[in-house]
Formats: sequence, structure tokens, C-alpha cells
Amino acid sequence: MKTLDKDIVDYALSYARGKKVEYAEASASNTKHEEFVIKNGVLDAFASTVDSGFYVRILADGGLGFASTNKWTKDEAESIVNMAYKSAKAAKRKDKINFTEEKSVKTRWSVEQKTKIEDVPPEKKIDELMEVDKTLASQDIKIPGRILFCSINLIEKYFVNSEGSTISSFVPKLGAYAFITVVENGKPEQASKQFGRSGGWEAFDEWKMTDALLHEAKVLQRLAKEGKAVKPGNMDLVCGTEVTGIACHESCGHPMEADRILGREMSQAGRSFIYQGGPYWMGTRIGNDVVTIVDDPTVKNSYGYYEYDDEGIKAGRRYLYKNGVINEFLHNRETAAKLGTVSNGSSRSVNYSREAIVRMANTFLLPGDWIEEEIIEDVKHGIYMKSFMEWNIDDRRFNQRYVGREAYAIENGELTYPVARPVIETTTENWWSAVDAISKKVNYDAATCGKGDPMQLAPVYTGGPVIRLKGVYVK
Amino acid sequence: MSEVLAKTEAIVKKGKALGADEVIAKTTFGRYRQTRFSENQIDITVAWNDYVTDVALTWKKRLVATEIRNFQNAESIMEQLFKLAKVSKENPTYGGIAKGKFKYPKPTADKKLQELENPSDYVLEAIEASKKEAGKDVNAGGILFTKYEDIYLASSEGPIGQDARSAVELSIRAFSQIDASGHGVECSSALKDFKPSRAGEKAGEIAKMAKNPKQGEEGRYDIIFDPLFFTSMLGTWGFMASAFSVMIQQSVFTDKLGQKVASDVVTLRDKPAQYAVSNRVFDDEGFPAQENIIINKGVLKTYLHNTSTAKIFKTKTTGNAGLIQPTPWNIEMDPGDMSKDELFSQIKHGLYLTNNWYTRFQNYATGDFSTIPRDGIFLIKNGEIRESYKDLRLSDNILRLLNQIAGISKERQHIYWWGLDYGPALSPYVLAKDIQMTRPK
Repeated sequence: MKTLDKDIVDYALSYARGKKVEYAEASASNTKHEEFVIKNGVLDAFASTVDSGFYVRILADGGLGFASTNKWTKDEAESIVNMAYKSAKAAKRKDKINFTEEKSVKTRWSVEQKTKIEDVPPEKKIDELMEVDKTLASQDIKIPGRILFCSINLIEKYFVNSEGSTISSFVPKLGAYAFITVVENGKPEQASKQFGRSGGWEAFDEWKMTDALLHEAKVLQRLAKEGKAVKPGNMDLVCGTEVTGIACHESCGHPMEADRILGREMSQAGRSFIYQGGPYWMGTRIGNDVVTIVDDPTVKNSYGYYEYDDEGIKAGRRYLYKNGVINEFLHNRETAAKLGTVSNGSSRSVNYSREAIVRMANTFLLPGDWIEEEIIEDVKHGIYMKSFMEWNIDDRRFNQRYVGREAYAIENGELTYPVARPVIETTTENWWSAVDAISKKVNYDAATCGKGDPMQLAPVYTGGPVIRLKGVYVK
Repeated sequence: MSEVLAKTEAIVKKGKALGADEVIAKTTFGRYRQTRFSENQIDITVAWNDYVTDVALTWKKRLVATEIRNFQNAESIMEQLFKLAKVSKENPTYGGIAKGKFKYPKPTADKKLQELENPSDYVLEAIEASKKEAGKDVNAGGILFTKYEDIYLASSEGPIGQDARSAVELSIRAFSQIDASGHGVECSSALKDFKPSRAGEKAGEIAKMAKNPKQGEEGRYDIIFDPLFFTSMLGTWGFMASAFSVMIQQSVFTDKLGQKVASDVVTLRDKPAQYAVSNRVFDDEGFPAQENIIINKGVLKTYLHNTSTAKIFKTKTTGNAGLIQPTPWNIEMDPGDMSKDELFSQIKHGLYLTNNWYTRFQNYATGDFSTIPRDGIFLIKNGEIRESYKDLRLSDNILRLLNQIAGISKERQHIYWWGLDYGPALSPYVLAKDIQMTRPK
């Protein structure tokens, strides 16, 4: 029995086209999934699943309907088409939904694996993660809480629409997550670290998880022993690439999602500080002119990698903030039509049971011309916040806070002692306006972006170079 | 026995025949419907059907799991699963799954929620109610969600049974201005007593009061938490009460059993009650879901367990399996003896926080965290709401917050919505004293 039956997907589309629709698409996914978790040195469980199904989305009478199933029969295909069509008609919208006109495409794309994940036996996968835990546990550092999680998704998709597009794709995604607690003199300190890549099992070696987590453990131990609080005040804040990346994601990527800007997420993920008729819009300055932040799904082997989005639109680099100015929103076909432009391929669905919505892929600050060491040497009094633990941002994506994990005081251009949990709590505009130095090298971190109702957790990269914020308030 | 239960049991028998020590299978036929709306109009209606059997088996303390989505493939999938168990690693701490035959109460799911007729009517009722409160220019968005699940569970260790679980949830956020909003939620396991207008009125009422907000001031405040806000705190304490959270150090309750962890007025229980959107008759091991008191008058009484974690902690399961991670079903905070208005009258200078999101921790073990209020934030002076604020953040410690609770209302509301990191709760209005609020600079 086929797990992804293209004939049934094609049948669903042709059945939908037999109705009075303005647009219809049918899309299927088949995901082979494995996950396993090692808790304090023991394998808790290993799960292996295959999940396949398909959906139809219909635009009729200016309303949208979506229905999905994991039952692969023609009767079921008819049933979900009927359901989606009925829902679309029942919307009875005053403002009719339109989609932009886009080129149809017939293509097939995939991500290569150097070491095919399917060829790596489960016991080897377990052993490799177990080895990470063993090394951590064998150190002269007390780490009473260790949880390591590995997740594998081999995602096959098939997309057809009423405009003639047919796209097949295959993406293997490998992810891992670790959370550790170090206790020193009875004082717990914690760190989490995520890893992710599109590609084969070779990623596991490339991540150097053991080194990364050992580094975190040593940092936490030293922090517990020697960490001093910050004397609050205005100072220069140098941010490591992990901190730059989260700020790009939260205070640039999210507010530039056009569905937020237009209000479609108003009740859940929220709106944006950017809105029609408001103080910020396309062309408004939001940061220093050295700041250019892009979202780019085509970064090779990135966690957020794709070549065509889930509406069949070719993906490319989007310049969100360009030279400090609000430049380009993230669009799907619906939001682009509302704002009189074309889609830039930002529509993603995490599986067959979820509608595609506007999402980021890999969001990062473009490099500058500073050498990292020179940025620090140029600071008289400040903090180097290399990584973060607590963070959050309001639902307009303006008021945000980052709390340092690995952080050091800078005095006269030198890193001195570890700083315990320095806090910056500021606005999007103040943050990006304060950036006065950007290093040459971009680093990426894997992350999982949450959006949509029901929640859709999308793999992304956040990233950027080391940056300096001049004269900001740190506490 | 129903045909589906028989097929579910056949999967268990297949696993045993292969040589597994324990096998448990749970089949879910789920029908889920959601209508999303924004700008007072319906954006999309989404329907998804899910047919799945979750299977776990153990062999020599190796726990493996899979999903079967077509009974025709069951035999071959079980064979693959057993092979996986053989190459997996032993978990020396594994303590088994529930054993024995149990009697379950008759499920009370509402069949009307299998397929709601005219869901848009409920949405429009909520929108109209918000307009009635906040004026015709109010801009509202949200969701209406319905769930109906038929559940069939069989275990090699004895449990066998059926459940049916239903839920209806309406969440509406109303904007009276671009920076003035209110949020209302209406949740139930049955359509009876489900009143969308109640959520719309609440959203509209807060949105109206929230107009023309001023920049809030940093400082320490006595705070009244709306049930919508406080549900997220109850969910966090529920998560931290899970034995799994304790074992991975993501809990402020580690090594505190029998100790005072909250003020005397605080009693928290986990109760998969009939009214709750998470209502169930058994947990994922087939053990009867039950009420557990987590904190009694400020004292931590128990962690939440499955059979395996209970064995590690030398106690009995609390009926909260998750096979890996015990999970709270529905946290209830016991009511206090004051009305909501009496609670407000206790405040000389404080805040009323109506909703929040984005709760994040610096350190789960110590409890240092912050969370962002959203929708109406109000200054209270001498018991009365005086001004609308914006741009504040609650930045404190979640264990300290438990100890700062000084008043609890009689009124309680069952809450579940998108912004929660954890499950539903039954929450009162809560007064907590001397809580740190911060703001961006």
C-alpha cells in the first residue's frame, strides 16, 4: 500500500475543480518520524512513526475552506473537498479574499544526504546521543539534570493546484535539543541548546554536540562560582551571534509577517507595531543604517530550508529591514493580494492537517566589516552577552527582554569576570538604532518557531554576526 | 465489544505473540473543526479528521512506540516495532505500566460536538456581544474550535475500555483601538451552558476600559490576576508538579514534598472533571483518571505520576500517564471566600492584569521568570480601576508568587486558549502582593 498516493491527491483536486471554485489546491505529506530521549543517562523511549495524509484548500465566493484526512480513499477525498467547499461558501465575507496571480510551476526538488538517515540503524543513533551524555556525566562538574532529545523527520510532499502547478519534494530534517542543570555549591544554573539541519546524519558530527554542551556546562559552573550581578546603567552591550539571532527573529521577522500586519493573527500571535496608517510602515527607519536583516529559505542545509513554499511559490531571499529601513514584508498569496504586491514565497504548513500560513525560514542580520575582537577592544565599559536563557516580546513585537546566560563584563577592551544574568529590556527601535558595529562572520542557530492556531512548530534558523549596541541600559 | 476495540486489542495480542513483555494500544478517531476569524469576518474554516492507534511496547525494559493509521498495516508495523525494541537500550529505571482491570465511569461526551451546525453563528454571537460592550467599531478576532474523539484502549496488563472526549472552545480578542484590547474565552466539554456571548462581552468590556493606555511605571505592585492570566500560572505549577519535570530539574518543587511551598490560602488540585475540555476517564496507561491534591493549604502533597515514575519515587501512580511524561489534566485552584469585587476592594495601589503570554524562565529550578501582560492592564487605586496602562512585564519568581497569594475569589472560570504553554485550568481571580513589574528603557 502506498503511503503517499498521488492519484488520490490528483483526484481530490479534479473533484474540487468540478465545483464553482476560484482556486483549489490539494497537498499531501508523508513524514517518517523518529524521536528518542535520553534522560539522566537512560534511554526513556524510542518512537518511530509514519504519518501521511492530504488536504484540500478551496477559495470560493471569496471565502476559504480547508479540510484534511489521513484516510487514503477517493470517498474520503470527496468528503474533505465537500467539507472545504461548504466552509468556504459559508464564510459569507464582505471583503472577498483574493490570491495574487502567480506563475504555475512543475518541478521536483530535494535535499541531498551525505549519510542517509534511513541507512543509520536506530542503535547507532542511540549510541551516538548516549555518548554525548556519557561524556557530560563523566566530567568533574555536577550535572544532575541532563535531557537530550533527538528528532528526525523525512518529509515527502506532493502539491497540485487548479492553476496547473505540480511540485514534489523531499526534505530530511535532523534536530536535537539538550537541557542541562549544573549545580555548584548548591546553586543550580541551567542552559538549553538546540541543533538542527536539513540533510543527512552527517549533521550529527558537524554539530559537535559534546563540545558545545561541555562548554555550556563549564560556563554554568563558572557562573555559579564567580558570577557577579551587573551594576545597572547605560553601557555598551556586545551581543553574541545567538543573541543577535533571537533579536532578528523576534523583533524583525515576526513583525514583518504580513498576516499579522493585516490582523489575521490578532487573537493569537498578535498584531505588529507595523500597521496601515501607523507610525511605522514601508520606508520608515527602524534602525541604524548598518542594519540589514534578511529572511532566506535557500540557505543550503539550513533547518528552515525550502525551494518552493506550500503555495507553490519559488523561495528567495527577502530583505526585511534594509539599511535600517522597513523594506519588505513576508507574504503569502492572500496577504500579497491585499497589499498590492506578489507573494515572496513565505507560506509554510508543518503537515497535511494544517493550513499554510505566513512564516519565517532563516532570519539573520547580514555581516558588517568589524573583527569580533576589535568590537570588544573598542568598549571601555560594557557587557558581552554571548548567549541568552530567558527572553520574551510583546505581541506587537516591540517591547522585548533578553537575559544573558554566558556573559562577561568588559573593562577597557578586556573581558573580565562572568556576569550573572544581565538583562536588557528595550524596544525594537531602540535595539536596532543602537547597533553601531557588526562583525564579519554570520553564525546560525536552530530554533523552533511557534505560530498558528492550532499551533504549528516550524524549524527555522536564527542568526547573525556579533553586534554592539552603543550606550543601552543594562540591569 | 466494539469492532474498533477488538482491533485495538488484536494489536496488543500481536505484540504479545511477538514476545513483548507489555503492550498498550490506544485508538483515537478524532474529528476537529475550527473557524478562524479576524477583523469581524471569518477567515477560514478548517476541518481535520485523524484516525490513529498509538502503540507502545516493552521488551526487557526497552520502551518503544509507534502509530498505526490503518489497521491493515498493523501486523507489519508491530513486527517492525518489536525489532526496534530488540535493538533499543534498556532503561533500568523503567517501572512498568498499570496492571489490573478497572471500572471506568461512562463517558459524557456531547455528541452535538461531532459536527456543529452553523459554527459561524457562534462566532457572530461573540462578535456582536463584544460590539455591544465596546461599540460598533470594535475589531474582533479569534477562533471557535470543536473536538470529538472516540477512544479505545487495550493493554496486555489488564486495562481495557472506551472513552469519548468532546470540547468546544471560543476565544475572542476585541480591539477598541490599535493598542487597547480585551480577551474573552468560553470553554466547555459540552454545548449545554456554552455561551459565546459571555466571552464576547468580557473581551468588549476590557477593550472599552483599556482605551487610551498610558505607559505603565516600573515598580512593585499588589496585583489582581484575571482567571485568563492566572490559568497560565496554574498550568506552569501543574507542569512543575509532574515527576518528569522534577527529574529533569525543570521544577521549583524538587525535594519539597511535605514542605510549605505556597501561602496558606492556596490549594491546587488536578481534576479531569466532567466540565473540562480535557475530561477523560482513564490516562494513557488505562489507569482511571482521578483527582489529586497537589498543594493543600500551602503544603506540597504529591507529584503527578505514571506507574513508572511512581516506582522511582516509591509511591503509587496518580493516573497522570503520559508513558514518558506524567501530565496534569486540569488544574483547579480552590475558591476563596471573597467576591471579585471584595478582592478589588483590598487594593490601595495595584494593578489588574487581564491576560498574558510568553512566560519564559531564566532558571526553572529557582523559578526566576518573566511573562508579558497583554490586553487590558489597569491601575487600581482604593479598590477602583483608574487608568489603563501598557508596556509592562511581570518579572519575578514563580515560587515567590505562590507565596505572595493573599486573596482568592469565589468566582472561578474554566479556561483554555492558544496562548497557554500548558493545559486548561479552573481559575479564580487572585490577589498577590508585592510583585515586581518592569518596563523597557
